[in-house]
Amino acid sequence: METVIATERLNKKFGEGDLQINALREVDLTIQRGEFTAIVGPSGSGKTTLLNILCGLDLPTSGEIRVSGKPLSSMNGTELSRFRRNHIGLVFQAYNLIPVLTVLENIEYVMLLQGISPRERKDRVRDFLGRIGLEGKEKRFPSELSGGQQQRVAIARAMVSEPDLILADEPTANLDSETGSQLLDMMRRFNREQKMTFIFSTHDPMIMERATRLITLTDGKIVQDERRE
Amino acid sequence: MFWKLAWRNLWRNRTRTLLSSFVIAFGLSALVFVDGLMEGMTVNMVRNATDTFLGHAQLHRQGFRDELDVKRTIADLDQRIASLEQHPDLERWSKRVLSQGMLASSAGAEPVLVIGVDPKRERDLSKFDEGIRDGNYLESASGNDMLVGSKLAEKLELQLGDRIVLTGIDADTQEMVQELFRLGGIFHMGTREMDEAMVLAPLQTLQKMLLLEEGVHEVAFRFSNLDRDGFPQTPVMLPVDDRKNKLQLWSELMPALNMMKEWSGVSMSIISIILFFIIGLGITNTLLMGLYERMFELGVIKSLGTTPWQATRLMFYEAACLGLVSVLFGIVLSILFTWIFATAGIDYTGIEFSGVTFQEKIYPALRWERLVQYPFWTFGFTMVASIYPSWKLFRMMPVEALRKRKF
Ligand SMILES: Nc1ncnc2c1ncn2[C@@H]1O[C@H](COP(=O)(O)OP(=O)(O)OP(=O)(O)O)[C@@H](O)[C@H]1O
Ligand SMILES: [Mg+2]
Repeated sequence: METVIATERLNKKFGEGDLQINALREVDLTIQRGEFTAIVGPSGSGKTTLLNILCGLDLPTSGEIRVSGKPLSSMNGTELSRFRRNHIGLVFQAYNLIPVLTVLENIEYVMLLQGISPRERKDRVRDFLGRIGLEGKEKRFPSELSGGQQQRVAIARAMVSEPDLILADEPTANLDSETGSQLLDMMRRFNREQKMTFIFSTHDPMIMERATRLITLTDGKIVQDERRE
Repeated sequence: MFWKLAWRNLWRNRTRTLLSSFVIAFGLSALVFVDGLMEGMTVNMVRNATDTFLGHAQLHRQGFRDELDVKRTIADLDQRIASLEQHPDLERWSKRVLSQGMLASSAGAEPVLVIGVDPKRERDLSKFDEGIRDGNYLESASGNDMLVGSKLAEKLELQLGDRIVLTGIDADTQEMVQELFRLGGIFHMGTREMDEAMVLAPLQTLQKMLLLEEGVHEVAFRFSNLDRDGFPQTPVMLPVDDRKNKLQLWSELMPALNMMKEWSGVSMSIISIILFFIIGLGITNTLLMGLYERMFELGVIKSLGTTPWQATRLMFYEAACLGLVSVLFGIVLSILFTWIFATAGIDYTGIEFSGVTFQEKIYPALRWERLVQYPFWTFGFTMVASIYPSWKLFRMMPVEALRKRKF
C-alpha cells in the first residue's frame, strides 16, 4: 500500500483567549492510494478545516502534513500553489467554476497552469467530457448548466490534471439526491478504474454508504475510523 | 488564458467598466484639449506679437534697447543686412529709426515713441498698414506725413491733415530738434502701448531731423519656415567678431511672452498630474470593487494552484485591458473635441493679455505627439493604480476568500 498523505498530531486553533476554538485536536491521519474516504461529523466539528489544511490552503497551528514524505510546512506560498496544482484536485460545495470561462476552458485551466501542451489538453478534455456525459456542452458557460452538471465539470477539472488526491467538501450538499447519487457513482467509478484517491467531508448518507473508509470527527478529534469493503 | 480571463472579467460588469473607461477617456481628452488650447493660445499670442510689429528677430546696436539712445545706430549696417540675407528662410526685413520725443498739437503735447520706417518695406513686416482707421498709410520714406495711434489722436484732438510738431534730440550735437509733420492717418492696433504712444514717420525725414545720416536703430526680420515654437529652423546669427551689434529673437525681445509659453507648460503638467491622480483613484476603485465582488471566485482560482504571482498578473491584465479600452476611447474623444473646436475656433478677440491682444479666434492646436504622450501616461497611471488591488490579490488567503461563499 502506498501512502498518499499523512498527518501527525495536527492542531488548529482559531481566535485567542476565551474565544479560542480548537477546530482540530491531535489529528493523526494516513490516507492510502485508492481510498474513498468520507469524513463525517456534526456541523462545526472541523471537517472543512481539516480538508483546507490537507491541501495547504490553511496552515495548522501545530503538527505536520507529509505528502510522499515531503512536509508541507517547508513550502512557501508559491510552492504550496504548485503543490495544489500538481497533487490535489479540489471540489467545493458550489460555485466551483470560473464563471467567465467555458466548460472547456474551466477543465483546461489547471492543465494550462501545469504547462501541458495544447494537443494533450484537448485530448484529455475530450476524454473527460465523454466520461462525465457532457459532450457537446464544452462551449457553454457555467451559468448555462444545471448544478449537477456544474459539479461534474468541477470533478472533471479536479481529475483531469491527474492529481494524487481529490478533496471534496460536501460536493453533493447543493444537489438533489438523484443528481447527487449519479455524481457519486461517477466518482466511485473513477476511484475504482483509476485508483484515484478521494476524501469527502459530508453529512450525506449516500456518501457514507459508498465510502470505503469512514472517519468521524467530533470537536476536532477523530473519534472513529472505520474501514469497510 | 489570463488575458482571456481578464478581458472577460472586465466585461462582466459592463456598466461599471464603461463608466470608468468613460471617466478615463474624458479625463484624457480634456487633457489633450486643454493642452491644445494652451498651445493654440500661445501660438496665437506669439504670432500676434511677431506679426504686429516685432518681427521674428531684430538687430540693434549693443545697449540701444536699454535707453533708446539716439546715437547708438547699428554698426556696419549694410554688411550685416547682406550677411543676414544669406539665411535660407529670411523673408523680408525693414530698417527703423526709433526715438523718444514729444508730439505737440494745438491741444497739448504728449511723449511718444516715434518710429521712422520705409513704408514699402514696413508694410509686410508690421500691421500698421492694416490698422489704419482714418486716412492713409505712409506713401514714401520721405515727406512729412505722420501716423498716430487712435488714443493719442484723441488726446491731442487731432484731425486728418492737422499740423503736428515733433521734438527730439539729435544724434550729433544732442541738441533739441523740431520738425513739422502733417497727420496722414490714424491707426488702431488694439494694444494700448501702440495706440497711445507710438507714431510712425517716414524714415529719411527722421534720419535728417535727428542727424543720423544713413544710420538706423533697428532692423526687424521676418522668416518663413518657422518651427512649431515659432523660431527659424536655421539659427540666425551675427558674425562672431561683431561685438558692436546685437541680434535677438522674439523670445528675448519679449521675455514675458516666452515666460507665458513656459508657464503654460508648467500649468499643464500640474493639471495633468491632478487629472492622472483622479483617473488613478477611479481605476483603483473599479478594480477593488471587482476584486471584492469576486472574492469567492478568486479564492477558487487561487486554490486551484494559481500562484500568487499569476493571480497578480491576472489583476494587471485586467487593468491593462481597462486602460487600453479607455485610452483608445480617449484618443477618439480627444480628436473629436479638438477637431470641433479647431474648426469652429474660440472667440477671444479683443481681449488683452500681458500686453498682447488677441486679434483672431483661437484654434486649439493638436500636437500629434500629445496623442501618444498623454495616452501613454494615462495607461501608465492605470497600471500604477492597479498595484494596490494586485497586491491585495497577491496577499489574499484563499481560505478567507472561500469562507465568503454564498449558500
Ligand atoms: N477562519 C475561522 N475563524 C474562526 N473560526 C473558524 C474559522 N474557520 C472555522 N472556524 C471554526 O472552527 C470550527 C470548525 O469549523 P469547520 O468549518 O471546519 O466545521 P465543519 O465540520 O466543516 O462544519 P460544517 O459541517 O458546518 O461545514 C467551527 O467551530 C468554526 O466556527
Ligand atoms: Mg464545512
